[in-house]
Amino acid sequence: MDELELLKKEWKKQEGELPKLSYDQIYRMILKKSSSMVKWLFIICVLEFILWMSIDVIVRFTGDFNEFEEYNLKGFMFVSTIFSYGILLYFILRFYRNYKRIQTTDSAKVLMQNILKTRKTVKYYVWINLSFLTLTALAVVGYLATFTDAYVVEADQEKVPIFIIIISAIIVLSIFVGLVALFYRVIYGILTRRLKRNYEELKKLEL
Amino acid sequence: MNKELEHSFVTHLEQNQNIVHKVCRIYTSDPDSHNDLFQEITIQLWKAYPKFRGEAKFSTWMYRVALNTAITLYRKSKRSISTTDLDTMNFKIKAEEYDDEVEQQLKLMYAAVKQLNDIEKALVFLYLEDKSYREIADTMGISEVNARVKMNRVKTKLKKILNP
Repeated sequence: MDELELLKKEWKKQEGELPKLSYDQIYRMILKKSSSMVKWLFIICVLEFILWMSIDVIVRFTGDFNEFEEYNLKGFMFVSTIFSYGILLYFILRFYRNYKRIQTTDSAKVLMQNILKTRKTVKYYVWINLSFLTLTALAVVGYLATFTDAYVVEADQEKVPIFIIIISAIIVLSIFVGLVALFYRVIYGILTRRLKRNYEELKKLEL
Repeated sequence: MNKELEHSFVTHLEQNQNIVHKVCRIYTSDPDSHNDLFQEITIQLWKAYPKFRGEAKFSTWMYRVALNTAITLYRKSKRSISTTDLDTMNFKIKAEEYDDEVEQQLKLMYAAVKQLNDIEKALVFLYLEDKSYREIADTMGISEVNARVKMNRVKTKLKKILNP
């Protein structure tokens, strides 16, 4: 193609017009902090781990948790605690390993794959955590409604119908899950939009 | 030790800074963004430098990190780009060196390159830098055949932009 060849010829000639930075100017640059998307991804992911961990800790150490003991749920709570910390540990390790794998010296495609993998690790963690939370909550509500008198209205000593309790629990949980999903789309959408577009473009080349 | 590393890195980069400037020119349209991207590429190069063992030429190694930063890591700042900015930054061509027709053609060509997507720009950039298809394929992480095919498509696309 003539035009591109022409451009190629001229391309070399432009070198004289390029800006020239001095040794000191470059030196000052290496002292500054990066503002790359990988750095933001790391910060957001770490914040997520902290957020989910603190929600867990707060629930366990505030008075709410003691109520479960009244209803013979201590063993159940113990097992679920072990389980959720196991999940957390597993995902932190995986996240760390994937994060370390992000190298700017890889090819563009491998680099993009590794970034997307790292982000997915945290995404899976949050979804597993959410489903775990939902199932636990439903199981507890179901148990309390069926086998205990936790939902007895004190004034008239009548039991609230089980299906009302279960349905309202499901509604509350779905609103919660929906909000988290929305939050996710917004945060990661902004951060990874360009990366995803370019990755799709590269993948299209392989077809 | 660290001082030594800093010194050798800055010296290397100072000598090869043209590569980074050229990447910035392809991917940005105003001086502020140019400097922003240059800064980020420098940081990424510096972060990767301890692992640079000198098996490859410093410049070859730079192409990867610089393009990866421009395509993937760099977050464009929100500055709006006006068309006048685009005009002034579109590689100024010194009028006295070229006849009018060539000059005009080149200007249009640069404007056309700016319309390509990030991946296409990277291919064009490496092509203009006289890289082999093998190297282009390696840098992008695609096969050599695909690099060739895509490059031909980009050429056709550029032709279409220029002659609608």
